[in-house]
Amino acid sequence: MTTNLQTQPDPRVPAPAPALEVRSLVKHYPGVKALDGVDLVVRQHEVLGLAGENGAGKSTLLKALVGLVRPDGGEIWVRGEKVRLRSVVDAADHGIGMVFQEQSLVPNLTAAENIVLGSEGPGVRRGIYRWSTMRRLAQEQLDKIGSHIDPLARTDTLTFADRQMVEIAKVLRIEERTSHPPVIILDEPTSVLESKEIETLFTQVRRLREFASVVFVSHRLDEVLDVCDRVAVLRGGRSVGEVPAADAAPADLHRMMIGSTGSDDHYHGGAGERPDEASRPRLVVRGLSGKSFRDVDLDVHAGEIVGIVGVHGSGREDVCRALFGAEPTTAGEVVLDGEKLDLSGTRAACAAGVGYVPAERKTEGMVGPMSVADNMTLTKQQSRCTGPLVRPRKQATLVDRWIERLSIRTPHRGTAIQSLSGGNQQKVVLARWLVAGDVRLLLLDHPTRGLDVGARSEVYRLMRELADSGVATVLLADSLEEAIGMSDRIIVMSDGRATTQVAAPAGGKPTPLDLVKEMV
Amino acid sequence: MTTTSPADADREVVHAGRPRPRRGISLSDAGPPIALVVIFGVFAVLSPDFRTVSNVQNVLDAAAVLAVVTCGISFVLMMGSIDLSAPGIMGASAIAVALLVANNRNDNDFGLFGVAVAVLLGAALGCLSGLALVVLKVPSFMTTLGVSAVGLGVATLMFAGVQPNVTDPMLEGWAVERFLGLAHLTWIAVACVLVGALVQRYSRLGRYAFAIGGAEEVLGLSGVRVAPYKVAVFTMAGAFYGLAGVLVTSQLGAGLVQAGRGYDFSAITAAVVGGTLLSGGRGGILHSVVGVLLVTVLTNGLVQVGVSPYWQGGVQGLIVVAAVAAAVLPQRRRNQVTK
Amino acid sequence: MSAPVLTTPAPDAVVPGRPTVGQRLTSFMPVIALVVLLAALTVADPGFLTLSSLTAAVRTSAPLVVLAAGATLVVLCGGIDLSIAALCSLATVFFALWLPDLGGLTTFAIIAATGAIGALQGVAHVLFRIPSFIVTLGGMSIFSAIALVISDAGPVRVVDRDATNWLTLYVGGVVPMAFVVALVLVAAVSLVLRLTPLESWIRATGYSESAARLAGAPVDRVKIAAFTVSGACAGLAAVMLVSRNFSGSPTMADNLLLPAVAAIVVGGTAITGGHGSLWRSLAGALVVTLLRVGLPIVGVPSAYEQILYGAIIVAAVALTLDRSKVLIIK
Repeated sequence: MTTNLQTQPDPRVPAPAPALEVRSLVKHYPGVKALDGVDLVVRQHEVLGLAGENGAGKSTLLKALVGLVRPDGGEIWVRGEKVRLRSVVDAADHGIGMVFQEQSLVPNLTAAENIVLGSEGPGVRRGIYRWSTMRRLAQEQLDKIGSHIDPLARTDTLTFADRQMVEIAKVLRIEERTSHPPVIILDEPTSVLESKEIETLFTQVRRLREFASVVFVSHRLDEVLDVCDRVAVLRGGRSVGEVPAADAAPADLHRMMIGSTGSDDHYHGGAGERPDEASRPRLVVRGLSGKSFRDVDLDVHAGEIVGIVGVHGSGREDVCRALFGAEPTTAGEVVLDGEKLDLSGTRAACAAGVGYVPAERKTEGMVGPMSVADNMTLTKQQSRCTGPLVRPRKQATLVDRWIERLSIRTPHRGTAIQSLSGGNQQKVVLARWLVAGDVRLLLLDHPTRGLDVGARSEVYRLMRELADSGVATVLLADSLEEAIGMSDRIIVMSDGRATTQVAAPAGGKPTPLDLVKEMV
Repeated sequence: MTTTSPADADREVVHAGRPRPRRGISLSDAGPPIALVVIFGVFAVLSPDFRTVSNVQNVLDAAAVLAVVTCGISFVLMMGSIDLSAPGIMGASAIAVALLVANNRNDNDFGLFGVAVAVLLGAALGCLSGLALVVLKVPSFMTTLGVSAVGLGVATLMFAGVQPNVTDPMLEGWAVERFLGLAHLTWIAVACVLVGALVQRYSRLGRYAFAIGGAEEVLGLSGVRVAPYKVAVFTMAGAFYGLAGVLVTSQLGAGLVQAGRGYDFSAITAAVVGGTLLSGGRGGILHSVVGVLLVTVLTNGLVQVGVSPYWQGGVQGLIVVAAVAAAVLPQRRRNQVTK
Repeated sequence: MSAPVLTTPAPDAVVPGRPTVGQRLTSFMPVIALVVLLAALTVADPGFLTLSSLTAAVRTSAPLVVLAAGATLVVLCGGIDLSIAALCSLATVFFALWLPDLGGLTTFAIIAATGAIGALQGVAHVLFRIPSFIVTLGGMSIFSAIALVISDAGPVRVVDRDATNWLTLYVGGVVPMAFVVALVLVAAVSLVLRLTPLESWIRATGYSESAARLAGAPVDRVKIAAFTVSGACAGLAAVMLVSRNFSGSPTMADNLLLPAVAAIVVGGTAITGGHGSLWRSLAGALVVTLLRVGLPIVGVPSAYEQILYGAIIVAAVALTLDRSKVLIIK
């Protein structure tokens, strides 16, 4: 990667003021400090890498830079001038543009229209389109990045990589609004690209440097080091340092990202005896295939927590949903305690003793306006009924017992769950599977997402307790160290296949780097 | 790079580019025209009365009003919204025009000006739906249901218990006088279709309506305020319904409150059958015209082969459900939310 | 590194536990409207607040209450049933045609048949994932067509009036039987919902369909059941209409669609699903009926009735809509 740098013209033209500067930026969300005093400097004509674990505050920072999130404190300076960014348009007026992670193009318009969308200029006169002008404007943008896409092709007929070029061309339109070199933010631009396409993208990024500053965000550290001049690292909503890309190795960056507690075992708490590996596994998955995963084999013993790790697009979420009957499968067999598991729907899974905690708690995990009690007994209706009839007193006793047992902080069992804090909401969602005492397999999809440290550790404790009581658990963790800390065994998934299995017993944990090697 | 100078902008004309259709012909684009040809062929074989020139003229004349209504509703559907206001708006404009041109109820004789006022009334009612949608954030199927009721109320008020019969020779002439074998009404409908197609292809309003259906949130991220465009689309749709109400009055020779009865559903059917997705972002005026012809040929053909005309609505109901199902089924997911 | 990169630390918007003033107001809206209307009508015409005119108003409202109550279930699940009025018209024709053969069983046959038709719509909605308003809009025009064809587009007279006579009786000499039936229906359905897990399932489906499905609630079956009850209610309303008009007609109930939708939303049931109840729709139906009979009393031409329906539908939906759920309103 250093060789690459040397072939480029020296980008660091001395400049009086940085292109963009962030000073102790703060953003609170209820219960979470997403940004806790971030400092960041983007020099002119440089490619700055931004690295950090999930939850480190990258997304919030980027959103603040393009006016999608209003910070609670701190300052943003553009070329030595303090600015307030209220909207995407505001940011664009200051020369800041972002290529969004999930592509933000209108699929049924032409590439040209997308490129000039919202700033058509001479392309539209008195509400009437001038297609030839539009085409020319778009062509100029595409020429800047040397792309050969037909501007009049419909966007949804283009390949993903071409669409990304269109987005970059679109972002470069902000040059029309300002006479200064723009700042272009690329958020995870490589996550869905093939390696050849990535190479093309990198060529573009280096080309961009000649007339713009670039902020490059990626979870692939080798890429970050490859294409960037300098890398800044965020952790827990703070800037923890920056390194020149030329002197750094992925391991250095990773160490900065996860901090000193990385391979700590503290999540385990008082984990006692390990499950008997020799016994027959409670869950046996053989050759499970679906739209985004193929030939997945998986064994989970009673009392065992098995973590599945993998990058975005590895298909692990879909495997998890498939086991719960919420995602169709094309082949494979799943056996739970010796009986074939019916994957045709969620009801069958619930009846068989499978529980699922979805990642999107607010939209999929809970029914916000309904009470804590009704959310808790939503699945296991039999636990509050006698025959077909609901017994309010039975429900009250049961719910109150679980509120106490999980120390859920709620004014009353009749309170709407949406007025609880995230951690307590998640405990109610977990309790839903426990009230009947018949859950045999728990599928946890990012169970600690969006929770603060205290709530996290309570969820960890609960998971461990459940495992110790014999529940088999599949965990899709929020971060690598969470997966390592919590799991007894870790399955690495990559491109829809389970590639490796790593044992992670207490006292013999793998390091995050061991896993990263397998994931990418 | 600097901003393009106006001189550059004026130097267009070189090669007038147009949005290129999708590469290759997909089934959803080619399906409706093929179906039209097939159905036409089947009826032509089945019924000797169907395959006469005069019947083809009949079909085209019968399609005129529906085509105008469908022009309006297509833009709304393109945005992913729905519009049930056609019956109300058409009723209001039908009575309004009957009372404004020469008629038996009063001494008005405003001619074309009266027609324009009726169309404007339609536009105003359409604007009301749009405003309720963007200001009150009420889903369009509710606002347009409400506006339809308002339109019917306005019509009933103007109707006042006595049917206004049109004596204006111009308006009466539209339905009977022919040019190149087709009634003037039909030519008006053709003009509407052309205007609609031009708006869709060359105006910001049309393109943005299309984009709103494709990815509304992206427009917001690009700094486009969509609300004014939504209101404008509903207003334009209202104007089309207003004109359709005028055309119905011309056909009947009198203003009726029920002038637009059933047209909302027929128009949705035509648009959907023509390949417009209810979720928005696909289809267009020309697609819808094929749908209008399909629906009209089917209606006419069934009558010609001896099916009771009362079945008309039922057949439309079946095909719209089938067409929507056919469009939705391939994208069906588990755990999909359908309201 | 490991997790999908979507991870924004999900903002934990803590919703205040106490209802806002607007929420309080809308939750009492139907009752307030009812009282205000009664008061206003009494002021306008002191003779209005008599037993006979109230009895007449209540009697007129019965079919509307039944229609609205059934459709409320569908709305609670987050859908809409636009076919109720057309199905009700069709059922009046069926009733008139079947009565000579089935006699006393006709009422049950009608309710069973319309329930089955409703179920069919529910199945089409759930199985093909077609939006409910399209299924029922299609249903509406299909039912109208069938009714027109089998009745030959005209009213079918009912000669045997004994079969519906019971509905025209008065309980205790004052309360019309039809209204009592409507009340019993609302009470019975509400009770069944309250006493079984059904209410939980329906609300969960309406508030958040995907959460309900992932919690293992029988979402599809609940929806089909809602459409079935909605259809059956249309049948019962048809029997009530026939008992009053002594005939069946293919357009008899068509003008009840708007009042029924108005009754539901005026009652405060959210069109987005989850929030609301059958009792609310009962109150809403009474409000709508009072408006209808009250307008002429205060000297407003009945032509304004339609405009009023339109306005109150939009206004009531605007007040009760759960905007947190839908970010983009189409």
